[in-house]
Amino acid sequence: MKELVEHTEGINRLMARYGVKFGIYKGGEFHEQLFPFDAIPRVITHDDFQQLEKGLIQRVDALNLFLNDIYSEKKIIKDGVIPEEFVFISSGYLPQCEGITPPKNIYSHISGIDLVLGKDGEWYILEDNLRIPSGASYPMIAREICRRVSPATFSNNSVVDNRNYAAMLRQTMDWVNTGGIPVIMTPGRYNAAYFEHSYLAERTGSELATCTDLFVEDNYLYYRDYREKKQKVGVIYRRISDEYLDPMTFNPESLIGIPNIMDVYRSGNVAIVNAPGNGVADDKGIYYFVPKMIRYYLDQEPILKNAPTYLPFYDEDRKYVLDNLEKLVVKDVAEAGGYGVIFGNELSSEKLSEMKKLIEKESRRFIAQEVVDFQDMEVMEGEDRVLRKADLRAFVLSGETTKVWPSGLTRFSRNADSFVVNSSQGGGFKDTWVLSQWKK
Amino acid sequence: MGIISMEKVDHLYWLGRYTERVYTTLRVFFHIYDKMIEQPEGIYAKYCERLNIPNIYTSNRQFVMSYLFNEDNPDSLRSNMERAYDNAVVLRDELSTTVLSYVHLAVGAFEGCRKTTAPLLELQQVIDDLLAFWGGADDYVEQEDCRNILKCGKYVERLDLCMRLDYHTENLEKEYRKLCNRLGKTNLVYHEASLNRLEEIILREEHPEQYYREALGCLGALLA
Repeated sequence: MKELVEHTEGINRLMARYGVKFGIYKGGEFHEQLFPFDAIPRVITHDDFQQLEKGLIQRVDALNLFLNDIYSEKKIIKDGVIPEEFVFISSGYLPQCEGITPPKNIYSHISGIDLVLGKDGEWYILEDNLRIPSGASYPMIAREICRRVSPATFSNNSVVDNRNYAAMLRQTMDWVNTGGIPVIMTPGRYNAAYFEHSYLAERTGSELATCTDLFVEDNYLYYRDYREKKQKVGVIYRRISDEYLDPMTFNPESLIGIPNIMDVYRSGNVAIVNAPGNGVADDKGIYYFVPKMIRYYLDQEPILKNAPTYLPFYDEDRKYVLDNLEKLVVKDVAEAGGYGVIFGNELSSEKLSEMKKLIEKESRRFIAQEVVDFQDMEVMEGEDRVLRKADLRAFVLSGETTKVWPSGLTRFSRNADSFVVNSSQGGGFKDTWVLSQWKK
Repeated sequence: MGIISMEKVDHLYWLGRYTERVYTTLRVFFHIYDKMIEQPEGIYAKYCERLNIPNIYTSNRQFVMSYLFNEDNPDSLRSNMERAYDNAVVLRDELSTTVLSYVHLAVGAFEGCRKTTAPLLELQQVIDDLLAFWGGADDYVEQEDCRNILKCGKYVERLDLCMRLDYHTENLEKEYRKLCNRLGKTNLVYHEASLNRLEEIILREEHPEQYYREALGCLGALLA
């Protein structure tokens, strides 16, 4: 381990060589930035991972059942488990997806579940990402480089190899493939996660396509090559948001979508990974109800805990939030990427009262959570080891069975006082080691 | 899987052109830099004229810095390297991460050179990275079609530069044959009359240099 940490700079140099970057817009201009890597890994023991794995599979299975229910019978609403206003006013709910059954009935094929480890040793779910969660490629390539830099570290520690993510992803795509080539669709190189799109295409053996390469004909989706030959597409792992996917169905001004792809999907002639409309299940407001979903659909007690959450929509919760705002963290349900997160203890009294008014006026727009006292992680800062906030994005793949990738993206804040770990806000990342049960 | 979209064909072709442009002009620049030691100010003017780039330079020193490193100068080698990168970065699944990394390295080497007092010493690294890129492309780019299109770009650019920079006739013949060999192996649609005329000028005209302007036109029209 010491050897690995000593070579942090060299590892980051190799990352730069391989283009391990993310894009960011500053002042209207696109910049590519390196994603700083810290060589001290997050280590999850075998037993801890087994428990985590069970909890994550349970959660994602319930979320898939919820999506299937919401776009069909809506039993969970009829049975009064979730109020309908939370579903139908969610910006992630897409009425255009009503009645569509995706291939093999899977909605969230790739789920990115964000967790933190509390000081009490318990994992807490912070949020579910069921639309187009990104980040798996970073620990994947980091592991490749780390093994090269310090083989002894890995021969002395029983770390489960995480470089199988691409194979798991390809299996997941193949399972729902309706007969045709696999494609990863990117909005283009100026997307923040373009490195990941191109790396996963290379590693899964899928074609990396933009909207200009794809077209719909006779209710099938095709990839057009330069000889004007067309190849039928059986599964498309699209890395663009729902609203841009099909200008004929969603935002008519989208120039990066594929006209009529939703018709092909509706007819069962292509699998879209992840399914359009998943946003209704990873809405920050719906998050509150996930434990209830697990009880409702699976008749099981949730294995993993949510961070204690309040919905100002409910009178009782709103009163609590308004009385305790200074010790809570408030999240705007419409925002992502670490934006729209407000810590009550950082607000002046004037801002606090403004926030309270806003919560009263737009109670559905916010959730409030207790600030989880989560474990800090060691990070190298120059020659020193310092403590920083870090979370874990676990990746759960739903194909023939639901599987958890034995790794994950550990993101950390580079600022001493910050809880915000997102790469877009200057955070770095670590590899996540899952130890095998066979000790060396 | 043997499928290449039109857009990727374009990127492959221009990646071939820009990497070759940086590689060859950098090597030529090494000679000019050497000549500048004894020659008077303004020696670069003829070079600019031959490459048909505007002579916006005011001194030998300013030429060296701007032509090599100025990102705002569209004709600088740095800008051409950036264009190569723009085309390469969208081709990871065709080129492989390994091959793409040599373009990343070349861009990084350019960035590093700017700060040095001996730019040519450091720029050797760019030449090495580009040579490694081409070696890697031969070894790691699995689709033959991709390699052929990439090399079509490379040989179009090399022919273009050979004519502009007055290379010997036998060099032109060699590069022309390489281009034809690669072109014939692709399914690219090209302008046959332009290729035929190019052949006449390079292989049969007694003084081909008299027809270079026309030959450059043919080369430009070949895959337009």
